[in-house]
Amino acid sequence: MFRKLKETLFIAYVCIFSIIALLPLVHIVFTVFANGIPVIFRGGTEFLTQSLASPGKGLGGIFPAIFGTFLLVFLSSLIGIPIAILAGTFIAEYPTSALSKSVRALLTIMLEFPTILVGLFVMAILVIPMGSFSAIAASLALAIVMLPYVATYTEQALRNVPQHYKEGAYALGLRKARVVFSVSMRIARKGVVTGLLIGVAKVSGETAPLIFTAGNAWRSVGGVFEPVGAIPLWIYYLVQQPYANYHEIAWGSAAVLLTLFLVIFIPLRVLTREVRV
Amino acid sequence: MRKWALVLLALVPLLAGCATQPSGEKEVKKVNVYGSGASFPAPQIYAWISEFEKQRKDITVEYTSKGSGAGINDFKLKLVHFACSDPPAKESEWREFEKLGKPLQFPFIVGAVAVVYNVPGVGELRLDGETLAKIFAGDIEFWDDNAIKALNPDARLPHEKIIVIHRSDSSGTTEIFTNYLSIVSEDFKQKVGAGKLVEWPVDKLGRGYGGKGNEGVSAMLKQTMYSIAYVELAYALHEKFPIVSLKNKAGKFVQPTDETISSAIVATKAFVPDPREGYKEDLKQFLNAPGENSYPIVAFSHVLLWEGYEDKEVARAVKDFWKWVLTDGKKYMLKGYVALPDEIVKSALDAIEKIS
Amino acid sequence: MDRFKLLLLPVCGTVLGILMLMLLVFAVNSAETLARQGIETFTSNVWIASEIPEEEFYGLLAAIYGTLYTSILALILALPTSIALAVFTIDFVPQKAKEALVIPVDIMAGLPTVLYGLWGLFVLAPLVGNFAPIFYEKLSFVPLFSYYNFTGFSYLTASILLAIMVTPFATAIIREAYRTIPATYREAVYSLGLTRYEATKVLLSFIKPSILAGSLLAFGRAVGETVAVSLVVGNTFNIHPSFFAPGYTISSLLANQFGNAFVYRYMPSALFCAGLVLFLIGLLVNIAGVLLLRRWRHV
Repeated sequence: MFRKLKETLFIAYVCIFSIIALLPLVHIVFTVFANGIPVIFRGGTEFLTQSLASPGKGLGGIFPAIFGTFLLVFLSSLIGIPIAILAGTFIAEYPTSALSKSVRALLTIMLEFPTILVGLFVMAILVIPMGSFSAIAASLALAIVMLPYVATYTEQALRNVPQHYKEGAYALGLRKARVVFSVSMRIARKGVVTGLLIGVAKVSGETAPLIFTAGNAWRSVGGVFEPVGAIPLWIYYLVQQPYANYHEIAWGSAAVLLTLFLVIFIPLRVLTREVRV
Repeated sequence: MRKWALVLLALVPLLAGCATQPSGEKEVKKVNVYGSGASFPAPQIYAWISEFEKQRKDITVEYTSKGSGAGINDFKLKLVHFACSDPPAKESEWREFEKLGKPLQFPFIVGAVAVVYNVPGVGELRLDGETLAKIFAGDIEFWDDNAIKALNPDARLPHEKIIVIHRSDSSGTTEIFTNYLSIVSEDFKQKVGAGKLVEWPVDKLGRGYGGKGNEGVSAMLKQTMYSIAYVELAYALHEKFPIVSLKNKAGKFVQPTDETISSAIVATKAFVPDPREGYKEDLKQFLNAPGENSYPIVAFSHVLLWEGYEDKEVARAVKDFWKWVLTDGKKYMLKGYVALPDEIVKSALDAIEKIS
Repeated sequence: MDRFKLLLLPVCGTVLGILMLMLLVFAVNSAETLARQGIETFTSNVWIASEIPEEEFYGLLAAIYGTLYTSILALILALPTSIALAVFTIDFVPQKAKEALVIPVDIMAGLPTVLYGLWGLFVLAPLVGNFAPIFYEKLSFVPLFSYYNFTGFSYLTASILLAIMVTPFATAIIREAYRTIPATYREAVYSLGLTRYEATKVLLSFIKPSILAGSLLAFGRAVGETVAVSLVVGNTFNIHPSFFAPGYTISSLLANQFGNAFVYRYMPSALFCAGLVLFLIGLLVNIAGVLLLRRWRHV
């Protein structure tokens, strides 16, 4: 009697809460595109190629931000990916060593570590001594954020390589390094690249690590040792201004960022389902 | 494979960026000058930067509005080439700067702090220093309090709690405003005091909110009914907020306008020290100025520079920009900002010549 | 020891070193504040930023309170939602459609947080701001509703936003654990004639450690989130039980105040101290979560 009631309530709860869980995503994507795409159309190609407009005067462009995002992703990948892949390899190949165990625990912890602390850390050790906000400092912070993702995916991918391939390689007399890089990596390639792209997608959208390391650049595209802007950073700053045109630029930038993110992330997720963290 | 594709993809905009930079001609070496600081003069600085860029394609000036405190912060850490601060530096700060180099400071613009509000149905509001101080100290709770009614017998004041919006960051605007309130109200001076960052009693009473920068405060005022706030005049004008008419020392209720601001400066014997001794300037000199037509909350906004820069290109760029600001810049003033009187400009220009 | 291992050793050392260095930097920089202010750093809600160094005092209570309040509330909101979505994905949906539910969850997990912040600022905050006064009028005798605030900048807004952001993480963990319950248990439970509700209750009890782990990791994520929270929480030094009161969290305190910290003699140290607290909370929670997951996997 009550059983049936509880059953119905339960099913209702599961269905309704599942919708509640997914609804925000739909609404956020919708809002960002609904507000942002008209802005991009109004701004035309200049929106993507010019620098920031003056307060209250039109849309200008977000080129320094786009440039900054690409530069930071590039640099942070350059710094972070090699270290992450090597670390992941170590953990996968020598799983029993104490160092390996501690690093693995560490990486899992760092996966969702407060990113603002990473930014402050880099500020303390690099920005202040250097005397300038810079792209390199920001990239270092992003590399640290990216590290756990790439390393964990690499480790999992390598561990999933079937033993007999490795045994065959050893039987042929190959040395360990050869075995790993020529044989295991080839097979684990898909998983490793997934990790790379997940890391890239993640850091392209990060804001907190940049606040105290990148400075910001509204009109210039400086070198590696100079302040740099980035799309998430711009959105964060523009949104706190009272000028309506800055808010519009923020929505437009958000639409650009979201598009970038979805374009990397969706194909990635759709094509590679087996590797899961 | 995909990794290389991604790397190549990332390289494309880098190359594109380098290609779009110099327009035609030979490689024009661009110099970037970085500054940060007060949000008070920020709109005017952005306007100046736009104009300057049109005339000098080889210099790009970047200014980030973060508050006077953050500007001084960056200046002290040598993260920027110049910093803008509303209040002049204190002696203790100046000594800190002197450990790192030879600092220069001079005013570059005159501004005013406006008291703005968002109360539907109330078009004009008159307040005097004491009442204003009581509001911001949290002693007056409702809009239809007797003190406010006495000054505004015709206004339809609602029986709503006053929401006070102040700055959450270290701000020169706050320092100017709290100094004014401390001058006109001994009670405020005791309870809250003056400074870039103060503890507002309204926070503990649940009626206070902090906004970041003049921008943040403006944004919050727009969204919050029955609120009152203090912002730099240009923001009030740009957002078309209703501005409080304040009672000045002579007893008249005045709005902040070019005339009332200039009147305050003219009526006071302005003392501007040698730029090498910037700390000797007194922030309070224009506050509650005498004069029939003077607006009571007027202040200079200052810029901090170094006499010497490591990079000679940067030194030249800094020099050129600030010289331009003090001379040609007068042609491009925005509403709400007043240019410096000529005598003061002269000593500043002399100091700039020394930059190398 | 083979050469390969030797080659890779420094890399791993670097990774370990970075975290150690971070902890060191925060600890060393906090020392001054702790020496100067002692335990009151964590127990008082006073923030005096004076240009006279002797008068400076920085109490972190408001920030710590805010962080814990919003994260716990976020977890309370997120947990039932995550469990519902996990169960829905595994039990209620045919095999082909499962992917359609997994991918959006992953997207939500990776979505740039500033977009959540943007949405929170322009959509969620006004929404909460519109409803809050209604609650105040009818129910202000309840402490949870006893704050009059129609700006929408409040603990509740921050908590809801955080709940939305951490649900995907908890969902993923719970879903995967739920999926791997052996078929035999599932069959056994239904063969006893239990309803879906009863059966799910039993099955969920098998994966309690995972649910706990998911909760801890979600909590850790909520604690560390900066950008989205700082745009909607109100940034006021306030301690109040009401949902609708504005406040501070440690992460938004850092984001707001570090810009001008070095003007004041002791503020940087105080902020590093706040960062250290955040560091430790995050560390503890994440370690606990990881240990639990590990233990469950070996069972």
